[in-house]
Amino acid sequence: MDFRPSAPQQLLASTAREFLRRHAPPERVQEWTLDAHGLPDTLWRRMAELGWPGLLVAPEHGGSGGSLLDVVLLVEEMGYACLPGPFIASAVVATSLLAEAGSADQQKRMLPELATGERIATLALVEESGSSDPADVALACSVPGRLTGRKLFVKDAHVAEHLIVAVREGDGLSLLVLPTDRRGISRLPLEAISGEKLSEVVFDGVEVAAGDRLGAAGVGAAALAPALAAGTLARTAEMVGGAQRILDLVVEHARTRVQGGRPIGGYQAIQHACADLVRDVDTARGLLYLAAWKAAEGQPAESDIAIAKAHAGEACPAVARRGHQIFGAISYCEEHPLHLFHKRIQAAALDFGDAQHHLETVARSIGLV
Amino acid sequence: MDFAFTADERAFAEDVRRFLRAHPLESFPLEGMDAGYGSGAHSRAFMRALGAQGWLSMGWPAMYGGQERPLFFKLVLLEELALAGAPFGPLAGCWQTADAIIAYGSERLRREVLPAVARGDGTFWQGYSEPGAGSDLLGLKTQARRDGDDYVIRGHKIWSSHAGIATYGLVFARTSQEARRSRGFSMFVVPNGTPGMDIRPIRSLTGEVYHYETFLDDVRVPADMRLGPEGEGFIALLNGLDSDRFWGRFYKAPALERTLRQLVEYANTTRVRGVPLARDPSVRRRLADAAVDLAALRALFYRAACLMRDEATITYETAVAKVMADETGQKIAQLGMDLLGPWGPLREGSRGAKLGGQISHGYLTSLGHTIAGGTAEVLRTTIAVRGLGLPAEPKADARNRG
Repeated sequence: MDFRPSAPQQLLASTAREFLRRHAPPERVQEWTLDAHGLPDTLWRRMAELGWPGLLVAPEHGGSGGSLLDVVLLVEEMGYACLPGPFIASAVVATSLLAEAGSADQQKRMLPELATGERIATLALVEESGSSDPADVALACSVPGRLTGRKLFVKDAHVAEHLIVAVREGDGLSLLVLPTDRRGISRLPLEAISGEKLSEVVFDGVEVAAGDRLGAAGVGAAALAPALAAGTLARTAEMVGGAQRILDLVVEHARTRVQGGRPIGGYQAIQHACADLVRDVDTARGLLYLAAWKAAEGQPAESDIAIAKAHAGEACPAVARRGHQIFGAISYCEEHPLHLFHKRIQAAALDFGDAQHHLETVARSIGLV
Repeated sequence: MDFAFTADERAFAEDVRRFLRAHPLESFPLEGMDAGYGSGAHSRAFMRALGAQGWLSMGWPAMYGGQERPLFFKLVLLEELALAGAPFGPLAGCWQTADAIIAYGSERLRREVLPAVARGDGTFWQGYSEPGAGSDLLGLKTQARRDGDDYVIRGHKIWSSHAGIATYGLVFARTSQEARRSRGFSMFVVPNGTPGMDIRPIRSLTGEVYHYETFLDDVRVPADMRLGPEGEGFIALLNGLDSDRFWGRFYKAPALERTLRQLVEYANTTRVRGVPLARDPSVRRRLADAAVDLAALRALFYRAACLMRDEATITYETAVAKVMADETGQKIAQLGMDLLGPWGPLREGSRGAKLGGQISHGYLTSLGHTIAGGTAEVLRTTIAVRGLGLPAEPKADARNRG
């Protein structure tokens, strides 16, 4: 047993920490959060130069063939910086889907562009039910035919060239790859407190041909499972990184903020709160790494991923709330970075199934009837 | 990263399971209560059976009769024993004391005490706390005065687990009045039955005896029964407490997993208005939550274990694991009481008791866990000060000196 990342993984993480420290300080993150476009394209291209979008793409398609564990370590650093942008939507979820379900031709055509970051793809899954469980997809389409209806909470659709749309076809679920500029598709922004770029995507009689399929008809649910697992792990990693940053900020504050003649970190009320933050961050990270390792090893990891997401989904928002309490009034200001991390953690906690959703998976895994 | 057990570790786990199948737990007489930590009751016969397997001394150097097995074998053994609910109460204390004797004990201690430990005949009680020295051990009053080749110990120790049925006391005493506060303390291995030693039981709130208090009235101990150099007992003790937090709690996760399995089974088979209790959304959620907590707890303990194995620095990692172990235990104990409803408070042996009456027992014993071995409050301070580098609160006597 060994909890330490390998030397290349440590290098990946430390490179990311330094790169993001320089290029994505909280002041910039705050600007991008308020900006309609979000992450500047220039920074996305620099990330692409580092090979990040190609991490999950096989070498024959221009990627580096990394593992989910590598992705988790990288996204943890992105969470530490509260970096916005389409990395998880495109480089993790959509890329996993293409690698899992794409035909040889689709992979050859799309994966190299995703790996270099030249193209961005995103999954359109969630609907009115708010559920990210494929079983809850209701939007129907027969192929060839026309697609009419809408998807909600589609991430980074405003910068995506491709939408991967989950639709009901007969008894099963199918996946379609549609260019965002196809006639009848409109992307309407939703305004989230986190500044994440979410859209409602409306399909108005959009023409769908057999060639638009990703994978065979009716196999969408099976194809989605690994991509959703990857997305769940990535959002968990984002929460862990964000919670670690909050802990670091809080400890720095507790050491230096003087009240009553000494640093507030010298008072047990603050010390004990900080100790709980340590517990929450350390446990969230431990469960994350365990789940990601299992998934990367190809072992059954469904319950481990559910445990990791359920735990982080409760522990990390608790870290953020307690962080505000320790910081006091200053953290209520927009110019203070804490709210950025807090809002991102909240968004991640609710994405790809909230704690309640994942706890039901855990409940089944421990044998509850 | 690698979260798997090695093939050797898995094979050893199978050895332990085979041993447990061949030795039904009911066949071992018990002398001391199960205090709920996960190591079960005190059974001398069970300790001897472990000794016969060579498992009590398996981590020791070959020159002391050990097999030099890696630390993770000890974890595997504890996991399997706790999951089975075996009565191995004194085991962790034996390992810790033996390690200390091997590291800095006298020849006499190595020659006399280690073989007894290896057989399962030597077990220990910790004489640390005193009526006036709980969380603040530096305030203790017990003294050991040098007298020729002996020390003469005088004082009053309390909250010593299983002291009346153990074979040796580890008595922590002041050996110098002059030295600085943390210097001037030494540790002694004192055989039970030494003249002047009076060990009295303290009945606990379960109605059983776990703790004892010991009056030491000029107890004479040969100098080579001192554990470590004179005056450096406090450093040894602090290191001991660090590992105590680990070894005294590691088996709690598997033991709680055993409880959780029982509660899941209970929820599946108990019907309320014709529907299994397991279908109640709040029951489902609380049981799943407990499973998540246990997974988190394991992650903390195995991370600490890796640090110990790699001889890396430990500042707060065992403290945070202990705090979480004890608070998770209390949470699961309350969950058990809630699931059983009016049957929850029935005691073992009562007419109508469910799950062997163990839930109410576990509930009561769990109350002591956030107190013993460092209170949750003291340990949170440790995490903050040693782990995060936050400033220590001024000591009371420093304030008084002004």
